Amino acid sequence: MSKDKPASINSEHVRILAQLLQETDLSEIEYETESLRIRVAKKTHVVTSSAAVASLPPPASAKTPDAPESPPDGTVIKAPLVGTVYRAPEPGAPPFINEGDTVKKGDTLLIIEAMKTMNPVRAPASGTITAILVTDGAPIEYGEQLVIMTP
Amino acid sequence: MFEKILIANRGETALRIHRACREMGIHTVAVHSEADSDAMHVRLADESVCIGPPPAHASYLNIPAILTAAIMTHADAIHPGIGFLAENARFAEMVEEHNITFIGPSAEHIRLMGDKAQARSAAIKAGLNVIPGSEVLPHNDQQCRKIAKDIGYPVIIKASGGGGGKGMKIVHDDKTLKEMIPLARSEAEKFFKNPDIYLEKYLNPTRHLEVQILCDKHGNVVHLHERDCSMQRSHQKVIEETPSPALNQETREKLCAAAAQLAEKIGYVSLGTVEFLYSNGKFYFIEMNTRLQVEHTITEMTTGLDLVREQILIAAGKPFEKKQDDIIAYGHAIECRINAEDPQTFTPCPGTIDDYHAPGGLDVRVDSALYAGYTMPPWYDSLIAKLIVHGKTRNECLMRLRRALEEFVIDGIKSTIPLHQKIITQSDFIDATYHTAWLEQFLKDHEI
Repeated sequence: MSKDKPASINSEHVRILAQLLQETDLSEIEYETESLRIRVAKKTHVVTSSAAVASLPPPASAKTPDAPESPPDGTVIKAPLVGTVYRAPEPGAPPFINEGDTVKKGDTLLIIEAMKTMNPVRAPASGTITAILVTDGAPIEYGEQLVIMTP
Repeated sequence: MFEKILIANRGETALRIHRACREMGIHTVAVHSEADSDAMHVRLADESVCIGPPPAHASYLNIPAILTAAIMTHADAIHPGIGFLAENARFAEMVEEHNITFIGPSAEHIRLMGDKAQARSAAIKAGLNVIPGSEVLPHNDQQCRKIAKDIGYPVIIKASGGGGGKGMKIVHDDKTLKEMIPLARSEAEKFFKNPDIYLEKYLNPTRHLEVQILCDKHGNVVHLHERDCSMQRSHQKVIEETPSPALNQETREKLCAAAAQLAEKIGYVSLGTVEFLYSNGKFYFIEMNTRLQVEHTITEMTTGLDLVREQILIAAGKPFEKKQDDIIAYGHAIECRINAEDPQTFTPCPGTIDDYHAPGGLDVRVDSALYAGYTMPPWYDSLIAKLIVHGKTRNECLMRLRRALEEFVIDGIKSTIPLHQKIITQSDFIDATYHTAWLEQFLKDHEI
């Protein structure tokens, strides 16, 4: 840029440069004399000099969390260990619980398989199952919400 | 080659491994405790699995949870990192039993070197010097005097069942030996319920030297030169440098050759570090670490090799491409371990990082999982950043280290940056005359 006064734009210069840009297939040409500097570029983002500060990536997850936005009231039963959750004692068998069932303290709600061992998840108190938040055979993390029940 | 590696670690170590994996086009799985949901290693990994509550024994040391996470995510290898399960032979075995590759040595080698007595005899068998020492002392003054004389004064009396410095006595002559033996026996009985004691040569001052070795599955064994880790506090390394300013070329070559010889004799595979004490021109084997070391970074700076990448390639069965003569260490490198601790009292200071700015510029590297706004959980190691600088000469390296420490900003918590700034201006550090006991004495005499 001119240090003293803004130089009048010489459109001929720009036109020549633009033509060169097409011919050479370059993305950018900068032409500078003592009094002026012209830069022509095909894509505007090429000449932006301030790089946007990269924002931190969100935490990755083994799968997309599908927890309800506002979980229903009640006691939330969370996974006591990482593993694969099963709703029935064996494939094809009826599930341990369905929504709306009443259970007694100590009843098995689900099974979590880890290292080929089956770990029953039991009801901490007697009550009614209001929501089952996991699907049969799904991998679950430690602390993931499994079941919601009300007394 | 592996498609997906599960990284069984956290913090800057997990990040270090993640970086090597990504550059190799390998997907990563982070495992984490509930306290680390926002940690950088979790944010950057391709997938993550929460494996347990905050205490390490229930999460990062929870073998079934980690293996389950690996199976669930179909990882074909596990990198144990540094600490946690890295030297757990049973874990290495279980990983392999599940047809997952353990990125590290065999369980057998982890076990061998994990047992001090076995490691010592393996070193002797391989022709290495060990610190001269005795069997359990007999109840006979004359025999004890003879044993002490054979080892050579000064000697140190140690409890067979002990550790941590308790019951140890340094003895310079026969007369004190006679007085101290009964005292040491009763202390050993009191602390460890075992009155057995033995003698070892007392080395002072000593430098702590170690040699990086690399062995593939095709019989290639090389060393990647030595590191000097003599700047220590409570047996914790504080600053490491390479090459060691204490060695001449002849001793350096002998030291490095000895380390490679041990690795070759035991048929070791993977990365490893052979540690020595160096005193009065002689070096003595003390132990071998069968894993990646925190200070591997300085070796990377001088050799230009990515050690984690090489470790992964070795685990995948690839031959190491270079021969010993192709491995040239260039210039000088120093690492400062920066901990979240009060630099005077060394009380850990977990908390929220208000502001974070890492130094940069030519030959400056920072390995850290910190970011502004991150809250450090109180459950784990206090190491928060490693500042590594390289220079053509040691002097250039020191000047660069000084300016890099000036640039480093970690606000919101206390860190040991002021301690490092103080150490590097001391003539004993500049002249490289420090030894393993130097820092503790310095801290007694100075305010940071």
